[in-house]
Amino acid sequence: MKDSAATFLPLSPATLHILLSLAGEDLHGYGIMQEVTRQSQGKYKLGPGTLYDNLQKLIQRKFVQELGRRPGDEDPRRRYYRLTSLGRGVLAAETDRLADVVREARLRLQIAKPRRA
Amino acid sequence: MLRPLYRCLLRLHPSGFRRRFADEMLSIFDHSVGKPAALRLLVDGLVSLARQWALRPEFWHELSPAQQPAADGIPSFYTLDPFRPRADAVIHGLVLSTALFCLTCFAIRYSWIHILHVNIPAVQFDSPRSMQPSAGAGASATLERPTVPPRWQDKTPIALSTASHSAPGAVAMQNRALQPSATHASETLGSESPERSGRSPELLSTTPVPQAPFQPHVGTRVDQPQAPQPKPQGATSAMIRAMAEDVKLDAAERQRVIDGAIANLTKYYIYPDVAQTMADALLAHENSGDDDAATDGEVFADLLTRQMRDVSHDRYVMMVYSTVTKPENPPPSLEDVSRYRKEMEENNCTFEKVKILPHNIGYLKFNEFPDASICGTTVAAAMASLNHADAIIFDLRDNPGGYANMVALIATYLFDHPTHLNDFYNRSEHSTEQSWTHPPVPGNRLADKPAFVLTSLSTFSAAEGFSYDLKMLNRATLVGETTSGRGHMGMGHRIDDHFTIRVPGIRVVNPISKTNWEGTGVKPDVKVKAADALKTAEKLAERRLQKK
Repeated sequence: MKDSAATFLPLSPATLHILLSLAGEDLHGYGIMQEVTRQSQGKYKLGPGTLYDNLQKLIQRKFVQELGRRPGDEDPRRRYYRLTSLGRGVLAAETDRLADVVREARLRLQIAKPRRA
Repeated sequence: MLRPLYRCLLRLHPSGFRRRFADEMLSIFDHSVGKPAALRLLVDGLVSLARQWALRPEFWHELSPAQQPAADGIPSFYTLDPFRPRADAVIHGLVLSTALFCLTCFAIRYSWIHILHVNIPAVQFDSPRSMQPSAGAGASATLERPTVPPRWQDKTPIALSTASHSAPGAVAMQNRALQPSATHASETLGSESPERSGRSPELLSTTPVPQAPFQPHVGTRVDQPQAPQPKPQGATSAMIRAMAEDVKLDAAERQRVIDGAIANLTKYYIYPDVAQTMADALLAHENSGDDDAATDGEVFADLLTRQMRDVSHDRYVMMVYSTVTKPENPPPSLEDVSRYRKEMEENNCTFEKVKILPHNIGYLKFNEFPDASICGTTVAAAMASLNHADAIIFDLRDNPGGYANMVALIATYLFDHPTHLNDFYNRSEHSTEQSWTHPPVPGNRLADKPAFVLTSLSTFSAAEGFSYDLKMLNRATLVGETTSGRGHMGMGHRIDDHFTIRVPGIRVVNPISKTNWEGTGVKPDVKVKAADALKTAEKLAERRLQKK
C-alpha cells in the first residue's frame, strides 16, 4: 500500500489539506473549507473552485469517495465526502515524507547554526 | 446582484463539472457573509472557469458510470464520448439539412450557370387552368402554355414557322408570325398567295421566356410543310422524344456542323458580308485547332456561337445543340392545331383586360399577338366593346409578340383607310413583302380617337412592331420604357439530328423610317417607368380630351 501510495507523492498543499480534513470524519465541501481554515489557523484558505477541482481529481484517483446527500442536512444541496483507504494510505505516506523532510530540515538547520566560541 | 453573476459563472463551466459541483458551490456562496467574501468567491469562480476549460479537458463531460462487465459471448458496445444531442437539436438538424438539400437541388436545376450536368427533373405543378376553368372577355387569361416543352427536353429557344394563306373574310390577313416560339428549327417558307399572303417568320429571341405557342396552320391552302411544333405528343412523340444520346463529337462531326453552319449563314443571313466574316472566322478557328477540344455537343455549340458573335456582334446568331434527336421538318398535326385553338379559347386569346376607364377611355391589355385566324372574333368583340370610347390605351407591357397578322388586324381599327405598316425583307429570296392594315371595319369609331401604347422592357418583337408602326405613322403616343429591340426575324435551320443554327434572315423595314428597332428598341414618346405608364397615359388622354 505504502509503495503504491508513494507514487502519488508529493501532494500539493490543497490536496494535502483536503485529505487531512477528511481524515477525521466525513465532510461536505463547505465543511472541508472550514476545516482547512481551522487546521491552518486561518493561514491557508481554500476557495470552492480549487476545492472542487481537487475533489474531482481525488474522486477519480479513488482517494476520496462521494457519499451523496444526507436527508437531514440543513442544506440539501450538500454532498458528503469520505476518505478511502487508498486516500488514507496516501495521506499517511505524505505525512511520513513530510516528517522526514522536517526532521532533515531541523538537522540541517542545527548543523548550520553558528556555535559560540 | 452578485449571486446571479456567480450562478452565471457556474453555468459556464463544463457540463461534467457543473452538474457535479455547481449546486454545492452555490450553497457555499449562499453561506458567505458580506460583500468582500462574495467578491472573493466570484474571483475564485472566474479562475475556476478558466482552469476547468483550459486545463481539465478530461472532466468536460460527466464521468461515465462504471461499465458493467459483458456477459460471456454477448457482444457489447461502449461509447467513449457520453455526449448525446438533444432531441430538438436532432430535429432542427434534420429540417435544416433537408432544406439545404432542396435548395441545392433547386439551384442546380434552375441556375444560369450549368457547371454540373446533373439532370434534375422539374417539379410539375398543376395547371392554373384547373382553377380557372374559363376566361370570358375581360377575364384574366392564364399564360400557361402546355405546348411548350420543358427546357431540359429541348434547348432550342426558337422555332420559326411559315404559313401561307389566301386570305378571305374577316380574318384574312397576313399570317406573319412574329413570335419567338418554342423549339423546332426548320425552314419552310410558303409560296405566295395572291395578295398579302405570306410567310410567317418569327422574330428571333434569345430568351426562351416569351415563348408563344407554335403557329397552327389554318388556312385555305397549305403549300408547304409548316411550322415546326414545339411539343411532341401523341403519335409523333415517340419519334421526336427519342432517347437522349450522349454524343461524343469527332472531327468529322465537327466538320459537318461547321460546314452546315457556313452554308446556312451564307444562304440566309441578312447581311452577306457579315455572313462571310462569320464563315471565315469559323474556318479560321477550325484550322487553328481551337475546336479540337470540344467533344461535347453543348460545349461545341457554345463555342461556335461565341466565334460567330465575336465577329458579327449579333446576339441572335446561335448554334443550338439538343440531346433529343429531331426528325426532319415534322409536319404539324391537326391535333396541334386544335390544341392551340383550345388554348387560345381558354385564355381568351390572351386578352387580359378590356374595359372603359374613367373619362370614357378604352383600355385593352393583351399579352400576346395571337393568330388572327384563330382569335379574330375575340378581337372584334373586344374592339366593339371599346368602340364608343373617346380614347384608347393599348397595354403591351407584358406582351412578348406573336403574329404579324394580329398586328395588322388590331391596327386596322385605328385607321379609316388601308395603311402600309412595314415591309419584310427576306435576304435569301431577295424579296420584300408588305404589311398593310385591312380595309376599314364597318361601324368602327376609333379611327380618329387618340391612341396610347404602353411599353416596357418586356415588350418584344411583334409588340414592338405594333408600337413602332403606330409611332412612325404618328397615330399613337407611346408611354413607358424603351422596348427590348428585336427587329430581325430568323429561323432555326436544322443541320443534323442534334445541331440547329439560328440565323436572322428577315429584316423589318419601316416604309417611313426605312429602318427598324433592331438593337435600339422602340423609344417611347413619354418616358416613364413601366409601372407608372398606365397612370401617365390616362392623364395624357384626359388632357387631350379636355382640349377638344
